[in-house]
Amino acid sequence: MSDNEEGLEAETEASPDAEADAEVDDDAPPAATEAADTEDAEEAEAETATPVLDENVMPDEEADLLIPVEEYLQSGVHIGTQQKTESMERFIHRVRTDGLYVLDVSQTDRRIRTAASFLSNYAPEQILVASSRQYGRFPAEKFAEAVGARARTGRFIPGTLTNPKYDGYIEPDVVVVTDPIGDSQAVKEAITVGIPVVAMCDSNNTTSNVDLVVPTNNKGRKALSVVYWLLANETLDRRGAEPTYALEDFETEL
Amino acid sequence: MSQSDSSETRQCVSCGINIAGTNAARFNCPDCGQLIFRCATCRKQSNLYECSSCGFMGP
Repeated sequence: MSDNEEGLEAETEASPDAEADAEVDDDAPPAATEAADTEDAEEAEAETATPVLDENVMPDEEADLLIPVEEYLQSGVHIGTQQKTESMERFIHRVRTDGLYVLDVSQTDRRIRTAASFLSNYAPEQILVASSRQYGRFPAEKFAEAVGARARTGRFIPGTLTNPKYDGYIEPDVVVVTDPIGDSQAVKEAITVGIPVVAMCDSNNTTSNVDLVVPTNNKGRKALSVVYWLLANETLDRRGAEPTYALEDFETEL
Repeated sequence: MSQSDSSETRQCVSCGINIAGTNAARFNCPDCGQLIFRCATCRKQSNLYECSSCGFMGP
């Protein structure tokens, strides 16, 4: 979910409360207002204490996942955007009442395994991870450190894959991008040199020039941490190495 | 391997066209490791591909 969308949601959530408060102020006596305030506070406390998790996130409730479904839901891996593309339609499970598309968690889980199996076929130093997105930088670097890959975070310097005269020129065999929109330069150069692209795609991404999609929320801090952590652990597991990283190691600080 | 043999094997997995030029991709199937070729057009248009040996559907 983008910052703008969060802002919109916050506005829409805040406005009914504001109206309700105004009505109470006009008509009800002071005692009733206090009672209403206390009730509101209690409700707010209850909400913060036990966050309500979305239960309907995949067609098969008995699916065997890498981590419990509750952990996926807490990190918001399944939360898409209010837009969808035709290419991502097959990874979308349903649409919420607030217009957000919900990604199928079982497919996300399956694709993480597939991507890990795919990446384990390549030499570690021949994998390039790119992330221009703020919340993806730290998990991407950590992933690169864990599997021995190379990371290019922040601005992707044009010519990194195509200009041999550039000092930072590299020739990887596969590229992993956090967002095909934000990392479009990395995708473009990968096409030019003819190497496969693995991309983390949200419901609003087109999968053009992507060879393997990992459907996930690619905008959330926790979601990106969880996906990169799982991908790193699975890749190490496929290579026969022992995964030594905890989820906390992949989380970007606020 | 003769030139005709190599061109036979370098066919796009989605559309079947013989691959020539740049921008095409060659990689092993993520599930079974079978060699897969995708032509530039199918990559750009995001055409679905299916592995002939394991049935993996991508991208």
